Amino acid sequence: MARTRFTIALAAALVFSSTAPQAHQFHAGITDIGFNQKTGSTEIVHTYMTHDVEALLGELYQRQFDLSRPEDEAILRKYVEKQFFILGPDQRRLPIHWVGLEVNVDSVTIYQEIEDTPLSQAARIHQDVLSDFIADQANTINIKQGGAIRTLSFDHKSADQNLR
Amino acid sequence: MTMLRPLPCALAALLCHANCRADDPVIQRILVEGARASQLGVADSANAGTVNQNQLEMRTVYRPGELLEATPGLVVSQHSGEGKANQFYLRGFNLDHGTDLRTTVDDMPVNQRSHAHGQGWTDLNFLIPELAARLDYKKGPYSAQEGDFASAGSAAVTYANRLTKNVATVSVGQNGYARTAIAASPDLGRGTLLYALELVHNDGPFTHPDDYSKVNGVLRYSEGYANNGFSISAMAYRAKWNSTDQIPERAVDAGTLGRYDAVDPSDGGASRRLSLSGVWRRTATDSASKVNVYIIRNQLELFSNFTYFLDDPVNGDQFSQPDRRVTSGVNASHTWHLHPAGLENDLVVGTQLQNDNIFNGLYSTRDRQVLSVTRADHVVETSLGLFVENHTRWSDTFRTVAGLRADDYRFDVRSTLPENSGRSNARLASPSLNLIFGPWALTDFYLNFGDGFHSNDARGTVTTVDPKSGQPVGTVPGLVRSHGMELGVRTEIVPKLQTSLSLYRLDFDSELTFAGDAGTTEAGRPSRRYGVEFSNYYKPLKWLSVDADLAFARARSRDDDPVGNYIPGAVEGVGQLALTVDQLGAWSGALRLRYFGPRPLIEDNSVRSKASLTLNGRIGYRFSRDLQVELEAFNLSNRRDSAIDYYYASQLQGESAPHMDIHFHPLEARSLRLTLVKNW
Repeated sequence: MARTRFTIALAAALVFSSTAPQAHQFHAGITDIGFNQKTGSTEIVHTYMTHDVEALLGELYQRQFDLSRPEDEAILRKYVEKQFFILGPDQRRLPIHWVGLEVNVDSVTIYQEIEDTPLSQAARIHQDVLSDFIADQANTINIKQGGAIRTLSFDHKSADQNLR
Repeated sequence: MTMLRPLPCALAALLCHANCRADDPVIQRILVEGARASQLGVADSANAGTVNQNQLEMRTVYRPGELLEATPGLVVSQHSGEGKANQFYLRGFNLDHGTDLRTTVDDMPVNQRSHAHGQGWTDLNFLIPELAARLDYKKGPYSAQEGDFASAGSAAVTYANRLTKNVATVSVGQNGYARTAIAASPDLGRGTLLYALELVHNDGPFTHPDDYSKVNGVLRYSEGYANNGFSISAMAYRAKWNSTDQIPERAVDAGTLGRYDAVDPSDGGASRRLSLSGVWRRTATDSASKVNVYIIRNQLELFSNFTYFLDDPVNGDQFSQPDRRVTSGVNASHTWHLHPAGLENDLVVGTQLQNDNIFNGLYSTRDRQVLSVTRADHVVETSLGLFVENHTRWSDTFRTVAGLRADDYRFDVRSTLPENSGRSNARLASPSLNLIFGPWALTDFYLNFGDGFHSNDARGTVTTVDPKSGQPVGTVPGLVRSHGMELGVRTEIVPKLQTSLSLYRLDFDSELTFAGDAGTTEAGRPSRRYGVEFSNYYKPLKWLSVDADLAFARARSRDDDPVGNYIPGAVEGVGQLALTVDQLGAWSGALRLRYFGPRPLIEDNSVRSKASLTLNGRIGYRFSRDLQVELEAFNLSNRRDSAIDYYYASQLQGESAPHMDIHFHPLEARSLRLTLVKNW
């Protein structure tokens, strides 16, 4: 339900932004986290705007990136793993495995998973991907737990949030 | 992996107005299919472009200055010892050692004005390729942000603040070539420490070996992102070398001189460069600021002999042109992102302040020992440039860039002769306008207009007596205006092919020409150039790319002079064809054919150089993610072409009279270099 509402809000935002010349570019990222019962793993999918990711990497390394190259993907991975992590109840980081990414002209989709770990193990999320770089970056995390979807909003000032 | 998906489509739709953000005009799109970044909607002319680190790494470069040949139509050559500034050719110019090609490394000017040997002296031997993250080039005087020497073009090399991978490399090659370099960027405190050290030795194919040896280092501390942070850099370079200067064709034809022989084996030089610089940038949603400061100490000792025994049959004509200088400067700019009446508008204002404190001279020498002082000068040259540039996107298919630049130069020369001492100043305003139409069907159209300039040697602005002959001479203006206009198109309508075509005209009020006997550049006649450039980058497969560039220019002096209207050395046709293979399993490689067309060597075009054709290649094999071996080959077809040709009078020892002749520097014979690259 929450997700549906979010979708509508986002759709409204994009209709507005694409019909009027923007005063500001909208900087957003969405992360969906859910438990896959078939595999027993918690799966994480991030979607960021390609433009923002390219600017980020460009300003970090002053060069262009080709994310189809494994060595360039590794650079983005290093950054994401530093900026996004999940703590367990013992305040230790859950081992998030990098699955891969997809890039198109508009968005970069990153797949991660925490193998053999239910979502109930997650106590706290740190999400500061792009928000350390773009002041008005708004990151949304949708957590699918049971039948419900819980939505959390992150920015640079609130990069850490408890799940419990 | 099946799972709930986010809203990629919604995000994608949000981007339908995603323009190049003016707070960061240099940032390009991520390379979705590994192709070169598209310049559609980004560049302000058809001739501008960016070359990224991977593409720079794939090039075979005999010398660091050749990295600039990634600019379509630009030829980098050498007429002397390896430590000397290169010879550049672009857009119908013989740019000598860098006149009219503005080069910067991390916003520090490389061109040295009022240089002892040549105006705009561009010594790029301190460039460490492993640190070069990108090369941005523009051609023509269409940007208010570029100042002195940018009329033919400008090339900006950016060093990385941090490396994606640390690197250590060892190379050995024929002709006494050896190189080792290390570059790494560990985290330090809140930031990153970048360090690099390079050692090079090279003899070249010459009978009297260059014995070029250099030590080169960079140390940089940076914090934050490039657009929201700062960096402080120290660079140090020193080198010494022997020169095999150009030799007369008649002696080679007669068999008295070998192709790789030197006439005066005591020619050569030594160079040192030290710099300290800092960059600070702040980028917010509605504005961006940038300040960079630098102080550079350059020292050059240079001994040349181009005419042998023409002027002095006893001691020979060797001359020395020492140059010691401290260059300091500040560049600052601020950008406002404005939205008047719903338009996207970026307003950039900036200033460039530069001071050079120069001690240089022209001495007669023999075996590097001073015989007499022709002139010795202390030059203080100070310039202030102010610019304003307005970028407006009027609609989805029309944008403009309008700029105005004002420059003020002050020259203060104290020469050995009081008649050649004094002060002068010069001012110039340079407007520019760029109209960009499109994209329609992945095609942009450009109309560019602009005024640019180059400064003349400060000494020329106050010199009234030729110090050698004692004859009176006229002073030259401090600044010389250029006018350019260009029609361009850039298209990606053919899948996987990026094509651009430019037609341009460039006028100069006065041409800088090389005076072989004095070994300097002189302010010369007014000129006009027409040219066409056609550049193609085709990436049919993930592992294969093809570059095909052609450029042709017609350059003539605009005044009437019975000696003729051709411009000596002005390049006419240039072409390159390059095949690059990358990510083909463990293999990579490149093959590049460069055509450097014939040039008129004298005003009446009765003597012309031949074309030269160079085929270079490299093959790389990656043993593991972190270990690679490369074999590079230069002048694969082993052609006996010239790297450069001049036509002037010279006299060899034993000759009774001067001879007008072609003097050439040979292209290096085929040579191989083997390199081991370790990353970590």
